[in-house]
Amino acid sequence: MEISDSLSFLLTLPLFAMVLSLFVPKGVQRVYSIFASLLFLGLTIYEASGILFASSSEVAGRLAVEHQLVWLPQLGARLALRLDSVSVWFVVLNALTAVIAFSTKGIWYRKNPKLFTAMGFFLIFGLNAAFLSLDLVVFYLAYESVFIPMIFMVGVWGEKQKATAVFRFFLMSFLGSILMLVSIFYLLSKQFKTGIGYSSYLPDLIPTAGGLQGTEALLVFFGFFLAFAIKVPLVPFHAWLKDVYTLAPFPATIWMSAILSKLGVFGMIRFVGPLFPGVMLSVQGVLLTLAAVSVVYAALLAYRSNDPKSLLAYSSISHLGFVMLGVFTLKQSGGASAILLSVGHALVSGILFFLLSKIAERKDGIDLTNPQGLASKYPILFTALFVAVLASVSLPGTLNFAGEFLVLLNAYPVSALCTAIAGMGAVLGAAYMLKFFQQMGFGAPSPESDSAVAKSEDLGGYELILVFVLLITVIFCGFQTAIFLKGN
Amino acid sequence: MIPDIQPMKPWICLSAGILITLLVSVIRTESKRPAQISALLTLAASAVFGFSGISAESQVLMSGAFEVSSLTLVSLSAMCGLAAMFILGTGHYLSREKIHISDYYHLLLILVLGASVLVASRNLVVTFIALEVMSLPAYTLAGFRRNDSRSNEAALKYFILGGAMGAVFLLGSSFIFGATGSLDISEVFSQSGAGSAGSLLLYLGHLLVMVSFLFKVAAAPLHFWKPDVYEGSPTPVSGLMATIITSAAFISLLRLIHLVDFSPASAGAYLDLVRSTIRVAAMGSLLIGSMIMITQRNLKRMLAYSSITHTGYLLLGVLGSFDPKMEITSVLVYLLGYAAMSTGVFVLLSLSKAPSDSGTELIDLTGLVKRAPFLTFLWSVFLFSMAGMPFTVGFFTKYLVFMASLGGGETGLVIVAALCTVIGAYAYVRPIALMTMRDAAPGATDWEPTIGSQIVAVTAAGFVLLLGIIPNAMIQYLKGIPLIH
Repeated sequence: MEISDSLSFLLTLPLFAMVLSLFVPKGVQRVYSIFASLLFLGLTIYEASGILFASSSEVAGRLAVEHQLVWLPQLGARLALRLDSVSVWFVVLNALTAVIAFSTKGIWYRKNPKLFTAMGFFLIFGLNAAFLSLDLVVFYLAYESVFIPMIFMVGVWGEKQKATAVFRFFLMSFLGSILMLVSIFYLLSKQFKTGIGYSSYLPDLIPTAGGLQGTEALLVFFGFFLAFAIKVPLVPFHAWLKDVYTLAPFPATIWMSAILSKLGVFGMIRFVGPLFPGVMLSVQGVLLTLAAVSVVYAALLAYRSNDPKSLLAYSSISHLGFVMLGVFTLKQSGGASAILLSVGHALVSGILFFLLSKIAERKDGIDLTNPQGLASKYPILFTALFVAVLASVSLPGTLNFAGEFLVLLNAYPVSALCTAIAGMGAVLGAAYMLKFFQQMGFGAPSPESDSAVAKSEDLGGYELILVFVLLITVIFCGFQTAIFLKGN
Repeated sequence: MIPDIQPMKPWICLSAGILITLLVSVIRTESKRPAQISALLTLAASAVFGFSGISAESQVLMSGAFEVSSLTLVSLSAMCGLAAMFILGTGHYLSREKIHISDYYHLLLILVLGASVLVASRNLVVTFIALEVMSLPAYTLAGFRRNDSRSNEAALKYFILGGAMGAVFLLGSSFIFGATGSLDISEVFSQSGAGSAGSLLLYLGHLLVMVSFLFKVAAAPLHFWKPDVYEGSPTPVSGLMATIITSAAFISLLRLIHLVDFSPASAGAYLDLVRSTIRVAAMGSLLIGSMIMITQRNLKRMLAYSSITHTGYLLLGVLGSFDPKMEITSVLVYLLGYAAMSTGVFVLLSLSKAPSDSGTELIDLTGLVKRAPFLTFLWSVFLFSMAGMPFTVGFFTKYLVFMASLGGGETGLVIVAALCTVIGAYAYVRPIALMTMRDAAPGATDWEPTIGSQIVAVTAAGFVLLLGIIPNAMIQYLKGIPLIH
C-alpha cells in the first residue's frame, strides 16, 4: 500500500498533523492547529488551483488528476483518488472549514485539547478520503469513519443532555449508511454474477446499476438516497439535527453545517446521479418536492426558534434544500449551481457560527425573545455579522445570491411549482435572519446583562482578519461565478 | 503396522503437556506457578508444531477419522494462542477470586485439546468424543467460583443442557449410521450423493446433528442458556467460551452441514429445508440478540447477547457456503476477528476490582476516561470493532459475511442483519458514551490494569486495528483454506 503521488498529501498530511498534535504541549494546541490547518489550506489551494481557476470545463477536465492504488484486491476495492471539478470544491472547503473551526475558542482547548485537535485532523482526513474516493467501498469506509470524531466532539465537549443527541445523530446516520452499504453489496453481488469479479470502482459499477429494473432498482437507489438524505438532511429525515447542532461545541457545529452536510450533497452528485439516472428521472417529482418542502418547512422552524444556534441550524437545512433542488434538476448546469451554492452556504454558515461563538464568549445564554442590544458594545463584530447575515439572505452581490438565483433558474423549467415554493423560502429567510440580527444587536438591554459584558473587548487581531478575508471571498466569488460554472 | 503419527505431533504434544501439567500440580500443590508455566510451555510448543506443520497437503489419518490439514493446524495454533493469551491476561482475576489453583490449567488444556480434535475430526464418533472432551472441562470451569450460587447455576445449566444436546447428537448419528452404514464423514458424504440420496432417515439424522451444534453456538431459538452461563462463569471462562468453544463448534458445524451431498436432484427439497432452518436461526439470533442486548445493564450479559448476534452474522456466512465451491473464507475471517475482539473485551472485563463479578455493570464504566484513559482507549477499540466501524477488523468481518450471504441470494436476510447492526451499534456505543461523557457514578468500581492484562489487551487491539486497515494478508491466507479435500 504505497502512496507516492501528488494527491496523497491530502490524506497523509492530516494524519501526520493528528499524530503530531499528541506531542504538542497543551497550551499551544490552538496556535498549532490554526497554523497547521492554514498551511494545509494553502497547500490544498495550490494543488487545486489548476482545476479551481480553469477557464472552461474542458480545461478542468484535462487537469483532473486520478491515482489508483491497490488496496483490497480480494474484495475488489482500491484507493482510487480523483480530484476533478466536482471534488475540488469540497476538498478546498474542507481545508477552509478546518481553519474556521480551529480558530474558535472554548472549553475544547482547555479540557483534553490534544484529543480535540487529534479528532479534528482525523475528521479532515476522513472527509478528504470521502471526497476524493471514486471507489464505493472506500468511500463508505471514509464516510463512516467521520462519525468517530463527531461522536467524541459532541460527547466530550458538548453541553448537557448531549448523550441523547449524540445517539440520535449516530443511530440515524448509521441507519442510512448501513443501508447504503447493503445497496453497494447488492450491486457488487450482481456484478459478480455477470462474471467480471468484484470491483467497487464507480465506472465499473455503472453498467451493473444500469442493468437493474423496476422495484429492484428503486430499492437499491433508496439505500443510497436515504443515507445522503439523512446526512444533508432533507426534511422528513432531519429529526437528529437540531439537538446535535445546539448541544455540540461550536467547532463541531461549524464542521457539521459547513462540510458534513456537503457530504450528502457530494454523494448525491458523485455517486447517485451517475449510478441511477433512470430512477432519479422517474422519481424526480418526489425529490424536487422534498427539496422545496425542506426549504419552506425549515425556514418556518427557524422563524419560530428563540435560540440563536437552533435558528442557524434550521436556516442551514433551509439553504441545503435549495442546494438539493439544484441537484435534483438532474441537469449539468443545475448540479454546477448546486455546487456554487454549497460553497456559499459553507462559507456563510461557517462565518455565522464562528461569529456566534465569539458572541457566546462574551455573553452567555442569549435568548432571542428579548432584545440584547449588543451591537453598540461590539461595533466591529456586529458589522461583520451584518455582512454575513446579508450574504445568508442572498443579497445580490454575494455568492449565495448567485447560487440561489441559478438554482431557481435551473429548477423553473423542470417544475415551476417547486420553484415557486422554494422562492417563498427565500423570503422567509430574510424574515428570520433579520429577526435574529435585530434581537441580538439592537434594542435596550437589561441593566444586569450590561455589566456582565462591559469588560470584554470587540473582535480584533487574527480573528478579525480571518472573518474579513472570508467575507471578502464571499463577495468576490459572488461576482466571479464563472469559475464555478466553467461554461455550463 | 504402526500408523504414521508424525503429522499429529501438535495434538500429541498437547496431550503430553496435559499429563505433565497434572503431574506438576500434584507434586507442588502449594504453588500454582509450575502448573501455569507448564501450561504455557505446552501451548507454545503445540502452537509451534502446529504452525510449522502447515502445508498445502492434507492428510487423513487413523482410518479416515482424523484430518491434518491447513484448516485444522491453523485452528489448533490459533486456539493455543488464545488460551495462552487468557492465561497471561487473567491470572490476577483468578487470584482475586481465590480460585487460582493448579487444576485450572490442566482443565484449560483439556478444553483446548477437545476443541482442536473437534475441528480435525472426520468421524461422527470422534466428533462426539471431542465434543465431550471440550465440554466437560468447560462445565467444571463454569462452576469454578464454587461459593457463588450464580456460578453453580451456570455450571449446572450448561451441563444439563449440554448433556441433553449431546444425546440429540448421538441420536442423529445413529440415524445417519442406519441410513448409510457408516460414521465416517467422507463415506457418509459419498453415500448421500449416491445410494442413500433422498433417504428420510439420513436427512432426519443430519438435521438432529445440525441442531445439536446450533445449540452449541447458541443460535436462536437455542440461545437461552448463554446469558446465564456467561454471567455466572468466571470472566476468563466466559472469554474462553466466546473464543475457543465458539470457533471450534462453528468449524465443526460447517463440516457437519456439508456432511450431506446436496448436489443430487433428490436432495433439492432437503437443501431448501436446511437453508431455511439456518435462515430462521440466523434471523432469530440477530433480532433477539441485538434487541435484548440494548436492554442489558450487566456487561457480561450484554456480551452474551452480543455473541448471540455474532452467531447470527456467522450463520450468514454459513448460508453463503452452499455454492458448489463451499466457500468458507467469510466464516473463518469472522471467527478470527471475533476471537481477537472477544479476547480483548473479556480480558478488560476481568480487571474490575469488585469481588464476585459484582463490578461488571454498565454503571461501573462511568467516567473511566478520567480514571484510566488508556483502558478507555482499549475498550473503545474493541467495542467499535464489535459494532463494525471502519478501520477495525469488525468492519471487514461483517463485509465478508454480507457479501457471502448476498452471493447466496439472501438479500432479505442481509437487510435484516444491516438493521440489527444499527440496533447493536447503540448497545456498543453506549458504554463508550458512559466512559467518556459521564462523571464516575458514586460506587462505580475501580478498574486495575495489570501488566500481563495490558500486554494481552494491547496485542489484541493491535490485531483488531492492523487487520482493520490491511486485511489483505489475512483474507488471502484464509481464502486458501478449503473445507473438504
